[in-house]
Amino acid sequence: MTTKSELSAANRDLITENRLAIGEPPTAEEVLAYTRGELAPDEEARIRERLIAYPDLVRTLTTPFPEGADPDHPDYLSDHEFARHWKALQKRRHRSHGGLQFWRAFGAIAAAVAIVLGGLLWRAEMQLKQPVAVSQPQDLYQDGQRGIGTQQNTLTTNGDSYLLVPSLSSDLAVDKLRAEIADVADPSRPLWSSKAMPRTPDGSLVIMVPREFLKPSTYRLVVYGITGERQEPLSSYTLRVPPR
Amino acid sequence: MTNDDRFQDLYRKYYKRMVRFYVLSFRVTEEDAEELTQDAFFRFLEAMDEYRGDAEWAYLETIARNVAYNRIRSQKTAKRGAETVDILDRNAIPEPAAPPEPDYAQREEEALRSKRLREAIAGLPTGSRECIQLWLNEFTYDEIAKFLKITVDAVKSRLRDAKKILRAKLGDANALPEVEE
Repeated sequence: MTTKSELSAANRDLITENRLAIGEPPTAEEVLAYTRGELAPDEEARIRERLIAYPDLVRTLTTPFPEGADPDHPDYLSDHEFARHWKALQKRRHRSHGGLQFWRAFGAIAAAVAIVLGGLLWRAEMQLKQPVAVSQPQDLYQDGQRGIGTQQNTLTTNGDSYLLVPSLSSDLAVDKLRAEIADVADPSRPLWSSKAMPRTPDGSLVIMVPREFLKPSTYRLVVYGITGERQEPLSSYTLRVPPR
Repeated sequence: MTNDDRFQDLYRKYYKRMVRFYVLSFRVTEEDAEELTQDAFFRFLEAMDEYRGDAEWAYLETIARNVAYNRIRSQKTAKRGAETVDILDRNAIPEPAAPPEPDYAQREEEALRSKRLREAIAGLPTGSRECIQLWLNEFTYDEIAKFLKITVDAVKSRLRDAKKILRAKLGDANALPEVEE
């Protein structure tokens, strides 16, 4: 004979199987809409089906809610009990409002920072799209050229950028060129490094450097030649940026 | 009566009974029940100014149920996302003592019977199936009626139908004797 407990066990297994197909239980908002009868019939049926797969949740909706206690009943909070619980509630309230104020202030600051950064980014992007005037290109002497020891190239400009033209031999036997700028005080950490660029027929190379990029100091520009996997320095140039 | 007076009156009337409601209905500890009660009153207090309905206790009931629902739902979803351990990792879980095993033929028979019962329940017409599933989960007629938004008589009728169909499907005229209800 099939008993209720046997069928209950089978029902529990069935519910477990169904949960895998149904997924997460409905949200509190969906359930509220269900209890208020605000859903279309098919949606209501869907929510009911999902809830039946979670009997503990159905219980939160069906368990009879207690009535309030009369003032002369022991369940009615005494002044002493009321004061204790009330204090805890007020504490929670202050905590929540304090937290809310913090997040509001945090949100306002974050929004302001986002606006400023957005503005700066927009300005930078706009500047990149604008033509840049360079008064005159600057030919660079290689270090050690003409046997006079290290030749410093003093960079001067009237515009916003320096246009650097390293002197390179026109019969370079390399496929590509790459340039790198480092502060002479810390040559191991390049400040800028270009991608490998195919060598032009006359071997010329022009580098435009925004004036703001180089603070007054001494720098070294190194041009590398790349052939296949091999890369080697072709020439180096000492650049001096005088105080403005 | 000011909002504060009304709130304090409800607070005194309902506090202890709500704690009991949570303890008995949802099997939480007294401490957790107090936490849930304070949470419900806190939400009620925050929303009280905007509430324009007639019966404030009914609104409090909605919030109290909502707080319980969210608590249990979050536990369910947390379980679904629980970390899994490799069953081959012998260090992950202590190995329990093996229970005495029924023999293979017996296990096979039980599995087949369980499958038959599951299929029988799943194959019931929707209304009857919903009723019997809730009834098998120990919900009362009143609770089933409330949840399904039908009358208690309709619940009884659907349950009668469900049992009749199950008896026929299982070929067991004595299944679910009425005395068990």
